[in-house]
Amino acid sequence: MVEIPYIFKPRKDTGLCNSKIAIWLFLASEVMLFGGLFSSYIFLRVFSDYPWPERTLPVLPGLINTVILIISSVTVVFAWAALKLRKWSQFQFYMAITLICAAFFMGLKALEYKAKFNHQAARLSDFTVVEGHLGYAKIDKEGRVSKVYHYGDHAEKGHGADHGDDSQGDSHGSDYKEFKHNKIFFKTSEIEVDVTSASGKYVDELIEQAHAAGSKIYLEEEVGAKRSYKDESPLQVGAQGEELSKALIKRAKSVFVSARTANGKLRRDNLSEQWAEAKAEHPDLRGWQIQKEYGVDVDLEAIKDRLVPMKKSLVFKVEPATTFYFKPSWITEGESLSKLKDNTILQGELQDSPMVISIDGLDFQHLVMKAEERQQDPETIIEKSWVLKDENTRQLWEVHKMMVVKLEEKLLEEYGAYKKDDEHGRYQKGDPKRVPTEKDHYRIDWQQIVAYGKALKEGKDISAMTYDEMKELRPGPVAGFTGPNHKTMNEYFPELSIPRNEVRFDSTFTPKWNTYYALYFTITGLHGLHVIGGGIVLGYYMFFGRKMYESNPDWLANRVEVGGLFWHFVDLVWIFLFPILYLM
Amino acid sequence: MADSPEAIHKAKKNYIIVFLILMCMTVATVAVATIPALDIGKHGFDTADMILGLLIASFKAGCVMFIFMHLNHEKKLIYFLFGLAIVLALCLYFITKLAFIDPIIFEGFRLGEPK
Repeated sequence: MVEIPYIFKPRKDTGLCNSKIAIWLFLASEVMLFGGLFSSYIFLRVFSDYPWPERTLPVLPGLINTVILIISSVTVVFAWAALKLRKWSQFQFYMAITLICAAFFMGLKALEYKAKFNHQAARLSDFTVVEGHLGYAKIDKEGRVSKVYHYGDHAEKGHGADHGDDSQGDSHGSDYKEFKHNKIFFKTSEIEVDVTSASGKYVDELIEQAHAAGSKIYLEEEVGAKRSYKDESPLQVGAQGEELSKALIKRAKSVFVSARTANGKLRRDNLSEQWAEAKAEHPDLRGWQIQKEYGVDVDLEAIKDRLVPMKKSLVFKVEPATTFYFKPSWITEGESLSKLKDNTILQGELQDSPMVISIDGLDFQHLVMKAEERQQDPETIIEKSWVLKDENTRQLWEVHKMMVVKLEEKLLEEYGAYKKDDEHGRYQKGDPKRVPTEKDHYRIDWQQIVAYGKALKEGKDISAMTYDEMKELRPGPVAGFTGPNHKTMNEYFPELSIPRNEVRFDSTFTPKWNTYYALYFTITGLHGLHVIGGGIVLGYYMFFGRKMYESNPDWLANRVEVGGLFWHFVDLVWIFLFPILYLM
Repeated sequence: MADSPEAIHKAKKNYIIVFLILMCMTVATVAVATIPALDIGKHGFDTADMILGLLIASFKAGCVMFIFMHLNHEKKLIYFLFGLAIVLALCLYFITKLAFIDPIIFEGFRLGEPK
């Protein structure tokens, strides 16, 4: 067997062993990879067309993860040192701590991700942003939304606050379906399915919902077809009264596709004939000259009797008319006509489809930005916003405005005002040195909602409270470890039923919500994959390195050093990620 | 790099010191961002906070690179490789500047101007 050279002894020309150069080359490529992502972050942040979410992530999980990674960086280098000193059990001990740290890091990351996947946000038509948790609704056979649970009540009933989107029935066997209260309800008696784009997922959903409602989706008339223009024998696609099924759609699609293929061939053959004739008539002209002068094209008149009729869509009746409900992302809704994402058209009537949400965040920053673009007074636009028509949110907003004034007074008192004019005109004499930020003015986060709620509930005289007294009522970082705490503080989060036409865009806190979250998940996700990859390699050395340790300890030490270099790099990336994503 | 047992024992002491420095710096990063009394520049997040945050992060990164990754006594080739990658990555941050000297963009602006 050929021995691999320079695995732990340095080469004379470079002074380094090969594996070390290899890992540093790899790390250089990693610098470029993460450098590119950080540069995207800067680009998107500087040029963002919406207020960038500043310091909105809970800091504590990020801080703990930073500490965890630093500890693991030390233990991995200690593991290497133990190997150098030929202490196998010490090596295993430090490596085990490193792996536990890696697992802990990923576990915490998973908790953070889960909290975001279940946290809802909506941008309303006037650009107000509301954040919160969706309530739960039940729908009965007649399509009536029969009961609405508050998010927190639902958690208390033992369902677990964040079970899946939908669930069927309950332990008592009632006939209803339960789901997160953010659906589009559409009552329909006629469905038109586009056989070329129909998706099994949507067809199944229609069938399932019709079945639950005790209604039938069927073909009102028989659908036939011709095999080809030569073969006149009838071909049945679907019989009259045949119910909607994936098999039926598949059959119709296959007939449509073969008809389209046959017609395509007919056109192509005809075009070839036309060209042959044109070339025979004008042998001295080039192809492009013939096209320019005579415009050769398919002679549709000549082949019209031979074209096979194509049926692209099937029309189904729904009896009795049924209220179907879909996730907002599945449907483009209209008053009398709606279209599912697979181009299925529903004729009927749009029903009341509110989004029911316990709000734990109210943000007017985007609204203000838009108002300023239109040169309107932001305060006036806020006062007119839909969300302030609700009594509870209005009360919160009034308290918040009072608190911003108190913050202004506090900052003036603590930092004072400028004593003379700035020569560049940035401030004038008497202007306060520090003022509340846009975020202070126009965003109420969940801790503030809880504090305001507590003060109101306890019947405190808010106008007499100082800013710091109110701040003391805010829950600490542990109470809302991964985000707003709905389990114990749900009473403070007002519930809103937002009419569908007020919702401009809604999403959970996933990459879809905005570019900040797109970057957050991309970069931290990629970093997480590096943690997993590094963990697997280091774990391999710990569990299967004994044989190598006994035969060639220097080789193993070199491997651990190389693996450790990668691990330190993972730590290095996080050292920048933590402040950039959590603190800036 | 440390190879003799004595040198390794000495290096381990350094690792502990660096670990403590990193911990202190981590606490400092969070403190300057969350404690109002330590907030520099304007009230709330601003450029001064960003610069301070990145300076602390760079210092921490330096500690990890030079001590944990042994860059403090590495061969020239490694400095060249890693240094080149860092320089190239920094160049990426100036790509955004290219958007302003792109002739197509300027043509667009000119077309958009009222005649």
